[in-house]
Amino acid sequence: MGTATAKKTDPVLAALVDIVGEGNATDALHIRYAYSYDLSFVEPKLPDYVVMASTVEQIQEILKLANREKIPVVPYTAGTNIGGLTIPERGGILLDLKRMNKIIEIDTQDLVAIIEPGVSHAQLAAELAKHNLRFGWPVGPPSASVSSCAISHGIGGMNARYGLQSQEITSMEVVLPTGELVRVGSCAIQPKAWHSTLPLPKLDGLFKGWLGTTGIVTKLAVNVHPAPPILKIFTVSCDTVEDMVSYMFNLSNYEICDDLTAVSWWLSQVPIPYPYRPKPDDAPEWNSYATTYSWTDKEREAREEIWQKVVEEEQARGSSVKVTHYPEEALRGRTQLPSQVVGSTKNYCKMAGAGISWPGTFTPAKKWAPVYTRWKKILIEHNLSPAVRMSMYRGVHYGMLRAMIPFNKQSKEETENARRAIIECLKIDLDEGGIPYKPPVDFAREINARAHPGYLMLLKRVKAMLDPNDIMNPGKLGI
Amino acid sequence: MEWKIPSLEELEHYVWRCTACGTCRVAYDFGPPPFYAPICPAGEEFGFEGNMSSKGKIAFARGILDGTLSFEDPAFLEAIYKCTVCGGCQTQCQLDHKPFIPEIIEGMRRKAVEQGYGPLPPHKNLVQSLKSYDNPYQGPRRMRTDWMRPFKKAGRPIKDINKEPAETLFYVGCTGAFNKQAQGVPVATASIFQKLGIDFGCLGQNEVCCGSTAMRVGDAEAFKRVATQNLETFRKLKEEKGVKRIVTSCAGCYRAIKKDYALASDYEEIMDGLEVIHTADFLHRLWKEGKLTFKGELDMKVTYHDPCHTGRHLNKFRVDTEGEELWPGAYLDVSEEECLYDQPRELLKAIPGVELVEMARIRGNSYCCGGGGGVMTGFGDWAAKNAGLRIAEGMSTGAQHMVSICPFCHYNLNAGAKLIGSEMKLYDLTELLDQVL
Ligand SMILES: Cc1cc2nc3c(=O)[nH]c(=O)nc-3n(C[C@H](O)[C@H](O)[C@H](O)COP(=O)(O)OP(=O)(O)OC[C@H]3O[C@@H](n4cnc5c(N)ncnc54)[C@H](O)[C@@H]3O)c2cc1C
Ligand code: SF4
Ligand code: SF4
Repeated sequence: MGTATAKKTDPVLAALVDIVGEGNATDALHIRYAYSYDLSFVEPKLPDYVVMASTVEQIQEILKLANREKIPVVPYTAGTNIGGLTIPERGGILLDLKRMNKIIEIDTQDLVAIIEPGVSHAQLAAELAKHNLRFGWPVGPPSASVSSCAISHGIGGMNARYGLQSQEITSMEVVLPTGELVRVGSCAIQPKAWHSTLPLPKLDGLFKGWLGTTGIVTKLAVNVHPAPPILKIFTVSCDTVEDMVSYMFNLSNYEICDDLTAVSWWLSQVPIPYPYRPKPDDAPEWNSYATTYSWTDKEREAREEIWQKVVEEEQARGSSVKVTHYPEEALRGRTQLPSQVVGSTKNYCKMAGAGISWPGTFTPAKKWAPVYTRWKKILIEHNLSPAVRMSMYRGVHYGMLRAMIPFNKQSKEETENARRAIIECLKIDLDEGGIPYKPPVDFAREINARAHPGYLMLLKRVKAMLDPNDIMNPGKLGI
Repeated sequence: MEWKIPSLEELEHYVWRCTACGTCRVAYDFGPPPFYAPICPAGEEFGFEGNMSSKGKIAFARGILDGTLSFEDPAFLEAIYKCTVCGGCQTQCQLDHKPFIPEIIEGMRRKAVEQGYGPLPPHKNLVQSLKSYDNPYQGPRRMRTDWMRPFKKAGRPIKDINKEPAETLFYVGCTGAFNKQAQGVPVATASIFQKLGIDFGCLGQNEVCCGSTAMRVGDAEAFKRVATQNLETFRKLKEEKGVKRIVTSCAGCYRAIKKDYALASDYEEIMDGLEVIHTADFLHRLWKEGKLTFKGELDMKVTYHDPCHTGRHLNKFRVDTEGEELWPGAYLDVSEEECLYDQPRELLKAIPGVELVEMARIRGNSYCCGGGGGVMTGFGDWAAKNAGLRIAEGMSTGAQHMVSICPFCHYNLNAGAKLIGSEMKLYDLTELLDQVL
């Protein structure tokens, strides 16, 4: 039984069925169709085949076949990247990895979780909780993949304390586009040791931030952390973006938070208003939440003391910063992670319908205010809410600057309107030194247009070395 | 009688509310502690995104509406029936189309039927049987009363409500009447009612299928024919036989009469003064009122399976139809008030000697037995395989047996137990209650 067609007329399909078995490979239009689009503004495109693999050996065989036949392969876990990254640019095989969903081990002493690519945030969260351990969950769908988020430099709820998801990766097993199995990190030297990428050369970089264009990660280990029992969230509001950035600069110096985030009024609404609606005059333009976890009351009090000092300092220099109540549902959605409410895009899309995209960037904090001000103008001109988030990363003064832009995807015009506004915003940010994450091809082109020629040369060389026939998610790097 | 059954085109606006976020692919709750579990039987079995949860079904609907996908392709036709319409995915979704997810799935099926492609051949037999015999099991009408024989023999015949008045109509349903393995359900129900001295009667050979199966597989015309006939019968019974209450032990019939029949223009008027109640709820009420007391004891450790049709299918969604609170068509919230989650559990726990242990997936996140939405008829092997998964989950609790309140689940879960070689047996709640009253 199954959707797979065993039509032996197509030799590629027949070979795929031989590898993964009947029912796990298909060229049926309706199955391909469901992989042809995502939430973003990226134009739908069909893969030629969809294949579900459940072992490393199967993936090796698939890649050997694809490499021999020069057929594109697009790795897929849940397709929620908001950048069209699993929409095939050139058809080929859509390789769905959701069935490789084993949590191989949670090493409570080394504090690492070794997982397969199909393990979801929800699944790992439930398992870690049994050991009183935690991870920095993104504000995304609970059913999306932990490993895909990590290799895509994802951002989670502990980025101010432990860094990005990709900084938590300690070891990897990868199938190269040519079908060979490789390992990077400590597991490359001792198969049972998954604790760190250092002090070896950081070969994990060959597979992080490459948007599935250099290989298929088949096992991945991430650091996990003990879960302190006392949660305290410090919430403030500011009337201006400048005041909010100043507060964040100040507070981040003390490194007391797991997450230090500010969101514009439009993003704190559930859902984001669509089309644009002016903010009420008496509502502050920015709200911030700073999540802290402590082991003891004294530790919490010490964090609170620092936070109060920061607020007082800011107020003393004339800032509009106020200790406030963050809108309840929005706060829950952003701190009770993984969150079904936010993951299901209720906060973002409920009013607009079906579409969401972002200019999502890593931007120096000193540029947040000027970029936001220009974004706001552009977005309002396009009748879109300036639903912007700023998050400070670990121990540095840069971080996420992102506008969540929902739109009505049923309408081609409204989708194009959002796309144009987003690209315009993106250019401004790039020119100020920001770098977009999980970039759709439209963004990649803008990045490359500004890139140092040596960077592009190196990128192409590495890509050609790993993937001589350019079969892995081709076209996504915009090179 | 006019029926307001929406077409897929009428639901297009809702199809375009889905963001393909995939949150519906797994059951999840923040807790603490966090809860995670697979929820989509179709996704578990077939795996591709199109087969998986409402995300996949809505992809199919989009494909039909934009002209890419056609039922001419037999694989696609089959794909829209590879779904138990259990609503497990619906529970996870938070957007405006949430209340309409089963409607969208069935809307596709209705379109397939209208265009002359659907339902699948085994379903066609079922619908044909409905036309010929007024039941989906190709059972001659006279066999409808087979289960009543022991009562007659024992000198306690079941009242024929066509002839004699009674306050309560026991609407048996086709599965209980015709499916040998599920016949224990009406037998136990009637036996309990007799023990409790309830004035009830049955339609006997004149009972007509509720139409649920036809509706689930997209044959709205076949559904309307029997549903209209039933509503007219209910009106007559109310007016001429003094019926005040329709009780059924079948989750499918209950859901149909309560929800699907409400799409009829005359529903309110006909049902005015007529209560529709599931046996579990009815008995729970009597127990609360002190009218049901236990005489015996059952030494049994059991777990409870929530049927989809008495659970999340009875969710009451609040939709801002006129746009007074949010915007026209906005989903506001959901009430589980009418879902029969607590009643069967409270009754089970009240039975002396019975210990109830819960599975991980319960209530709104119950894992479907795998038999609904025409799957048992269309894909019998898969239905039993899925039921085996549920039985295995039940066994993991340490329970000896599983209890439920649906003859469909009863049949399918027992088939699942057999398939995986489990000693676990599925009992209907009435079968246990009957032993201790
Ligand atoms: C509402 C919403 C909010 C979000 N919030 C956040 C957030 O706060 N932080 C954040 O980081 N993300 C966020 N995201 C984005 C996304 O949900 C996460 O990054 C997610 O974990 C990606 O997982 P996925 O399974 O959907 O990956 P996919 O979209 O399937 O894949 C992502 C990329 O990885 C590649 N890939 C997949 N598997 C492999 C593999 N095994 N080997 C190599 N390459 C592979 C794919 O080709 C693709 O390029 C959000 C998304 C939504 C819809
Ligand atoms: S049905 Fe709801 S939860 Fe599922 S993908 Fe669509 S929007 Fe997300
Ligand atoms: S209704 Fe049930 S079987 Fe159908 S897609 Fe939803 S969860 Fe899966």
